[in-house]
Order: sequence, then C-alpha cells, then structure tokens
Amino acid sequence: MKAKRRVVTSSGRPAGAKRMPTARSVRSVIIPEAPRQRVESASASIATRTAVADAPAADIDLRVDLGRGLVLPNPILVASGTFGYGIEYGDVIDVDRLGAICCKGTTLKPRIGNPTPRVTETPGGMLNSIGLQNPGVDAVIEKYAATWATWKVPVLVNVAGESVGDYVEVTRRLEGVPGIAGIELNISCPNVGRGGLQFAIDADAAGEVTAAVRRVTDLPLLVKLSPNVADIRPIARAIADAGADALTAINTLSGIAVAPARDRPLLGNIYGGLSGPAVKPVALRIVYEAAQAVRIPIVAIGGVTELADVLDFLAVGAVAVQVGTAIFADPTLPVRLVGELSEECRRRGLASYRDLIGSALPKRPATPSAKGVEYRP
Amino acid sequence: MRLAAAELVDSREILPGQWLQAYHAPDIANGSRAGQFVHVRTGDYSGMVLRRPFSINTADAATGIITIHFRVIGHGTEWFARLRHGDPIDLLGPLGRSFEVDARSRHLLLIAGGLGMAGVRMLADEAIRDGRQVTLLFGAQSAREVYPSNLLPDEVEYVVATDDGSLGHHGYVTDLVPEYEGWADQAFACGPMPMLRSLARLAEGRRGRLGVASLGRKRGAGRADPLGSPAARRKAFMQVSMEQNMGCAVGACLGCVVQSVTGTPQRVCREGPVFASDELTWDGAWG
Repeated sequence: MKAKRRVVTSSGRPAGAKRMPTARSVRSVIIPEAPRQRVESASASIATRTAVADAPAADIDLRVDLGRGLVLPNPILVASGTFGYGIEYGDVIDVDRLGAICCKGTTLKPRIGNPTPRVTETPGGMLNSIGLQNPGVDAVIEKYAATWATWKVPVLVNVAGESVGDYVEVTRRLEGVPGIAGIELNISCPNVGRGGLQFAIDADAAGEVTAAVRRVTDLPLLVKLSPNVADIRPIARAIADAGADALTAINTLSGIAVAPARDRPLLGNIYGGLSGPAVKPVALRIVYEAAQAVRIPIVAIGGVTELADVLDFLAVGAVAVQVGTAIFADPTLPVRLVGELSEECRRRGLASYRDLIGSALPKRPATPSAKGVEYRP
Repeated sequence: MRLAAAELVDSREILPGQWLQAYHAPDIANGSRAGQFVHVRTGDYSGMVLRRPFSINTADAATGIITIHFRVIGHGTEWFARLRHGDPIDLLGPLGRSFEVDARSRHLLLIAGGLGMAGVRMLADEAIRDGRQVTLLFGAQSAREVYPSNLLPDEVEYVVATDDGSLGHHGYVTDLVPEYEGWADQAFACGPMPMLRSLARLAEGRRGRLGVASLGRKRGAGRADPLGSPAARRKAFMQVSMEQNMGCAVGACLGCVVQSVTGTPQRVCREGPVFASDELTWDGAWG
C-alpha cells in the first residue's frame, strides 16, 4: 500500500531526489484513472519546457492532480467559508494565482444561518458558528457560476445537507454547470434521518453519503473529514472506498466560549468550530493517520499561516493545503505561499514540490489494527 | 478597499481607558466617507488571528491622517494602546457603506452613546464642511466618560446626558431626542444596541407625532428602494451604524450579520455598517 501511494504522490522517488520534468515522469505522476484528455494536454505543456538545475522559480512544477481530471495549478487552496464566493477579496488579490477556491457551504434551500454573535477570537484561533448561511444552490449557480467560468482558478463548490437526499440533489444541480470544477462535501452536518448524528463521525454514514453523491456525478469529489472523532482511519477508508477522489482534512473542532459577563455562552449558537493555528497539531495528526489509511490524495487544512505550515502538512502526506482563518488577517497570504513554495523547491533543487510529500511518514506502514478502530495517540 | 501600511503619529488617552490615535494613511484618508471603517491587524500574528474593526473617527485627505477611537477591552486593544510614535500597522479599508445625507437636509441630529462617538464623529466634519447645522447628542454613564468638547468642531451644538446625572441631562440620551426630532431633517446614530433599538422605535412613530404621515410624495413616501441601497438610507430619517463581532470584514465569512425586515441577514461589513433603522428588525434573538 505504501509503495503505491508514493507512485501517486512523488513518482516513486525518494524525497529530495532531483528529477527533470520530462513527459514520461510527469505521466507517471498522474493518477491512472484520470481521463486521458486532460492528462495529455497537461503533460504536453510541461514537456515543451526545459528545466535546468537553477531554473527560475516559475519553472518549478507545482501542479497537483486530485483525480478525475482535476489538475490544480498549484497546491495552495482557499478554504470554504473564509473566501466567500471568490469575489469578495477581488480588490486585494488576484484569485487566478490560487490553486483552487472552495466556496461557502451550499445547501439545497436558502439558509439564514445562526443567531449572532457568530464569531469570536480565541487564543491562537477563532470560533465560528455561521450556521451555513447561504442563498441555496440554485441562487449560487445563477449568481456566481458564470463569473467562475471566466476564471483560470478551479472553483470547488462546498456542499452541505441534512440528509443523503439533500447532498444528492445539490450535486445533481451542480453537475455539468460551466465554472464548477468539483465538489467538496461538508459531511460535518447532522443527519436528520438518523437522529441528528453527524455523517462525519460514523464510517457507515460517511461512506453512504459519499457513495450516493458519487453515483450521480462525474465531477471530482472531495470529502471533508471532521476531527471530532476517536479514530479517523475507518472513516477515511469508508469514504475512499465509496469513491471519493480526495479527502480534505480537517473541518473545525467543536468548542465554546463564554460571554464576558459569564452569564451564558458567548456564541448565539452556543457551539462553534475552532480554527486557526491552535488546531494545527490536531490537523497534522489526522492527515498523518489518514495518509497511511487511504491511497487517495489528501488536502490538508488547519492553521496554515506560513510556508513552514505548508511544508509540515506535505511532510505528513498531504498533496495540497487549504488556507482558511489566516486569510482574515492577511488576504495576500495564499498567493504569497504559492511563490514561497516555488522558491523553497528551487532552493532545495527540486523540480517538483511533490518531492516534499510524505517525508515524515513512517518508512514502513504501521501494523494494521485488528479491528481498525482503536485509537493510538 | 485596499491594504495599506500606516504609521502611528499620535496616541492619546483622552478618557480613562479610551484612546484616540492618529495614523498617517494617505490611501485610506483619501476617499473614505463618514460611517466607513478600517480593519486593522495586530502585530501578534499567531496569538491574535483576527483583525480589529475601527470606525474611521476622522479622516483628513490633505494631511493623509485618519484617527481611530477605542476603549481598551482585551488583548487586541491593549496591543494598540501600547503602540508608539512611528510604529507601523497594516490597515484594510476603507470598508463598508457610509451614512447618506439627503441633499435637502439642513439640520442633522447626531446621537452617540459612549464609544458610539467614533461611529458618527466624522459625519460632523462632513456636514459642517457642507454647510449643514449639526446637533450632537451624547450619552455616557457619568461625567468622567463624556467625550471632551474640545475634540469636536466649534460649529457643533453638543448636548450631553449622563446616566448618573453628573453632567448634563440626568438620564438616557434617547430622552433628548423628541425635543430635536422636529428640528432635525435626518438623524444618525451609533451606540449600544438598547439605545439603537429605542431610537429605531422613536423614528418609527415620528411622522405620526409630527403630523406628516399622510402628506405623501415626500421623502420616504414613494416606491421602496432596495434594501441596503444608498437611496434607502438617504430617504430614511434615522440611520444607524451597527456593531457586530467581525471576521473577514469584506463579506466573505458571514460572521457579522444583522437581521433585516425581509428576513435576509445583512452583513454589517458589506451592506452596513450603516443601515436605515427601518431596514432592520429590532426584536428577537438576533439582537
């Protein structure tokens, strides 16, 4: 399993090895199931370039293949809920330099969201409980898809729902709409059909919703893991087995804050999701565990605020990262990280950032557990 | 909206725990309007992950100086209070929508509660520049928290109310409003939620009290303007500057909403912070 994973992510070469990006080596990086058409054009454009040892940073190969033909120009994405629909930060950054945009969580019907206050800062992070406020999938398509179609940057629509049927119907409506490059499933939502148990904390429910969505779409499908579980591995496996093309890890950690007068919890919804640098160690642990459990690519998210964070997540097996909370403080960060990652590769003499992936994973896969569920701290 | 580097040029504790700071930020000072705000980054990048929103208290395009006025209430404002002359900060702004003054309005009533002064202070400058008369009603808990009158333009009529009666009217600032509602063409308010709520109620009944409810074809009697549009605010008697915990301040995170009469949440950072008081609902859990 380990060997196959490395073929996917780093051409089977040891991390740090120099490699010229020839058509042949690039081809081997592409996941075999990816549609031929996109693969051909992507590798052809690379083959025409000649890389030299001291190539300028612009020639470093930052492309990342998330499967099903979704090839991102670079591995720095912006996270759902922190970047709106991609238009809000247009005045201060060039969105076309991002790897991808995950839009605000989208549901079948419009939602007005939770009572306020909805956000508060916590040490090294923030809590939010927006409550999936959004105008509904039809309005999202009508308002934004045409704009997205004119952008170079792929836009992934983050999909949320209260039942398997919700997810399926939203996905159906997104299928075939120009400007929508893929779907990211937010499964950290209560499943009304099962007494409000979150899809994301139960391997069967997570697998069921993934499979149902997979059946109705050919769009690249990412599924976002919740950290609020005892063991991520069976859940990650269930999602991968159900046909997801990639995983996103992690969603926010559940938490609360107390109002200044100490007479009630601070957030209008009481519970919020913790994000920011405070959650990075948890995100690293979950990516590390999931990377050893599944063979599909993992997009890491959780507290990325500088290049070192990106490198850490790549080291534990992520193929790309999402920047979220840090955008609020520094909207230019994601675009800057693209340049810094490229520069880091050049400095280390790497032709592709993919050589950085998985360097901190165990050299030999951990012994699979008998039950597959017990937790190893 | 732009990201701008600014430098602290003056910092004064004008009242106990309340600071007035001046920053050299020509990009922001130029073209910002009363009611807009800046979102400022602290220097503690890993500990404090959010920027802090501040109303633009004053802006002088000629000198490129903007001022902000805040009370030290937590780690972020403590950090700002410790800044010294020449220290750089990172501003995002100007953000949000401004107050809208109808061209025909001669008499403007400004109503501020405590730190709400920062929300309406710049409008006094703009109105006086445009030759309008300004009365500013200010409410505080006691005399020691009353905004110094020497920091206001001389042309402003400044009326103070204190909760404990230690200066000016003994009671809430909202008690003073009926006295001025006939004089005022428009009113602009910023302050705590209970104050804004009672002002919104006062504004609702004003036309009836003044006997102009059925005249028609007057301001506000025509076709409804789209929610959040400048016209909707310009036609309103009462405009309020809202406050809410804020994340991104550009409309991306939906953290800072208030509830509108249409049932659609409005973003304080994008559709606001200034709203016509009749655009918002003032009851319910959303307060």
